[in-house]
Amino acid sequence: MSTKVRYISEDHLITRQNRAEREFLAAFKAEKPTFAAPKVVVNPYLINPLCALVMFTTPTAVAPTLTVHGKRFERENLTHAFKAATEHFLPVLGLYEDFANTVTVSLPGGETTTLTIQTGKLPEDVCRCQNIQATLDYLGDNIMFLTPAGKNLPTAYDYKGDIRWMLTENTMFDIKRMKNGNIVTGSSRFCHMPYNSTGMIEINLLGKIYKEYRMPGNYHHDHFEMEDGNLLALTQDFFRETVEDMCVLIDRNTGDILKTWDYRKVLPMDVGGSGSQDAHDWFHNNAVWYDKKTHSLTLSGRHQDAVINIDYETGDLNWVIGDPEGWPQELVDKYFFKPVGDLSRFDWQYEQHACVICPNGDVMCFDNGQYRAKSKEKYIDNRDNFSRGVRYCIDTEKMEIEQVWQYGKERGQEFFSPYICNVEFYAEGHYMIHSGGIGRESGYAAKGLGAFLDADDPNVELRSITVEEKDGVVLYQLETEGNFYRAEKLPLYHDGDNLVLGDGQLLGSLEVTEEFDTVPEAEEVFALPPSFHNLLIEEDEDRFVFHGRFEKGTLAMLCLENEQESHHYFINTAAVVHLAMCSGAFLEKDDRDVKMHVSKLGLNGVFKLKLIINDKKYQTGVTICCS
Amino acid sequence: MITEVNEKEYESLDHSVPMLIEFYSKTCGPCKMLAFVLKDIAKQKPDFPIYIIDFDENRELKERLGVKGFPTMLFFKDGKEVSRLEGLKQKPAIIKAIEAIA
Repeated sequence: MSTKVRYISEDHLITRQNRAEREFLAAFKAEKPTFAAPKVVVNPYLINPLCALVMFTTPTAVAPTLTVHGKRFERENLTHAFKAATEHFLPVLGLYEDFANTVTVSLPGGETTTLTIQTGKLPEDVCRCQNIQATLDYLGDNIMFLTPAGKNLPTAYDYKGDIRWMLTENTMFDIKRMKNGNIVTGSSRFCHMPYNSTGMIEINLLGKIYKEYRMPGNYHHDHFEMEDGNLLALTQDFFRETVEDMCVLIDRNTGDILKTWDYRKVLPMDVGGSGSQDAHDWFHNNAVWYDKKTHSLTLSGRHQDAVINIDYETGDLNWVIGDPEGWPQELVDKYFFKPVGDLSRFDWQYEQHACVICPNGDVMCFDNGQYRAKSKEKYIDNRDNFSRGVRYCIDTEKMEIEQVWQYGKERGQEFFSPYICNVEFYAEGHYMIHSGGIGRESGYAAKGLGAFLDADDPNVELRSITVEEKDGVVLYQLETEGNFYRAEKLPLYHDGDNLVLGDGQLLGSLEVTEEFDTVPEAEEVFALPPSFHNLLIEEDEDRFVFHGRFEKGTLAMLCLENEQESHHYFINTAAVVHLAMCSGAFLEKDDRDVKMHVSKLGLNGVFKLKLIINDKKYQTGVTICCS
Repeated sequence: MITEVNEKEYESLDHSVPMLIEFYSKTCGPCKMLAFVLKDIAKQKPDFPIYIIDFDENRELKERLGVKGFPTMLFFKDGKEVSRLEGLKQKPAIIKAIEAIA
């Protein structure tokens, strides 16, 4: 019987980026590159193959302008003017893939340096644009950023559908530009199934991570920047029986949790269930929005088909938008709205995502429409269903609601996404509707979520369609391969600092991973486990991730042992049915493959890692260092 | 004390005393782990009756008791179900449920 354990120890990406930055800065100091012969580093922060950094010195402080030339003609050029300095570090963003890109840098005196920056091919399985309807007049310098809903990668497309930005890290969920110009999105570091990552990362578009905000309850789905820069983030408490039912406020500078909202205190958990609800994921909070005018939080709960609003200070419930069927009458009377206006056009939203409060107080969301009913006998088949962006006008005095806009119903199953997606409000009458979770089987809307479909099956198509509509006219449509969680239209460059040098920081903390206080009787054997288990241990600075393959019904436990102490972690090898899979990034094709993260928080020392499989305790040969 | 029973034997138990009924499956890793947890509890509370029932072989009983998955622990007092725990649990949670009925 063959045996094998693979072990990878890798510094956190922030540490690797810090090291890379120090190296190119040291070279810059030593070489003192001139404007005529600048130093160019392609992909300086290791995770964005479509960018570079141009570095040079000038004898006096001057403000350079950088132009990334379009592939076809001058009007496609991306130009950005930088602040005056004598040491220049100019991010080059939006390079074309597998192309000798022309980049010019010019100084106010008229001097120009022209560079050719060659990029490589992108990964073969990158999601390509299938169709695009856009003009430079409409899109300008903007490109459309899409965040992955599976093992695909965050990718951004220009007006021709060319990929102009990409990260080779599977960062996830929401992506937003902060007031300082940085991007905040979900970390790619796995913590808990089905899709919880360590926290959020604040990055620039070169891919440099300024901060990772770790959270004990991890991060999922969405975040929101407050006026003071602090971040609202969706999370949970893994030490209780339910998930995706908490929101926290995070200090932007320290990563500390400043405030927590627990929806279990606000809503009953066993009423108004959507077709995907179970007791564990009873609410499935997939969006948060802070509204200054009402000093309140609006939260989308997919598994109650409800968009709720709570008071920021007290957490008390203000109102609920949703089909009232199945809710207790006293709650319906107090918190639900009565539809008014043209009721022939009115539809409630079901299993919605991405709630938005418009400047006038109207509420928008992406109405996925999964099941499109509260009771099983009325569920709508996906083939007969539709998804849409919708805007409701609400009167919180009269508790009345009117549907004032929608886009998507008319497109039927072709635009149907049973999960993920978002909407954006740009101005009155100007909206984005991102239907990023389209799955088709043999040309029809698939029965399951895209994350569960076999993309290798020729009858299966995964698609993402992003539409922008202004005054009822579609001015933009991007259709790509794959499923994408959200879309966000942004220019590559912004008016703030597009690059700030200095070490990135790992803030906040992970949880203390729950240990198991009963240890099964097992005979210790001085051998590695059989190779069938395909063991892989990935050690990082603040945790390790165990990967293994186990037949269902296997008893498995991780043991950390040294002469002073031992710690035990139960590995669940049971089949798990996921009713939601908003990101399939961590999903394994073979359901016998399990992975488990163990945080180093609370552990101190050097431990031998052993593995109990049924009645044997095996060695792995791996030592975990926790300090 | 842990005793395995089938449906027929379950019917003949003295239901007037507090007891824990656990439904398990041989194909379930968490159930195997729970067996060790219950063994520990039995050592700690030797007089408290714990009965284990094979979920797959006693389908009528599990349906009658509304057991949908495994492992599931039902806590009975005076013949009535007082509480239940679904999934693998650690000793303190189970002992708490036992102490609430014993």
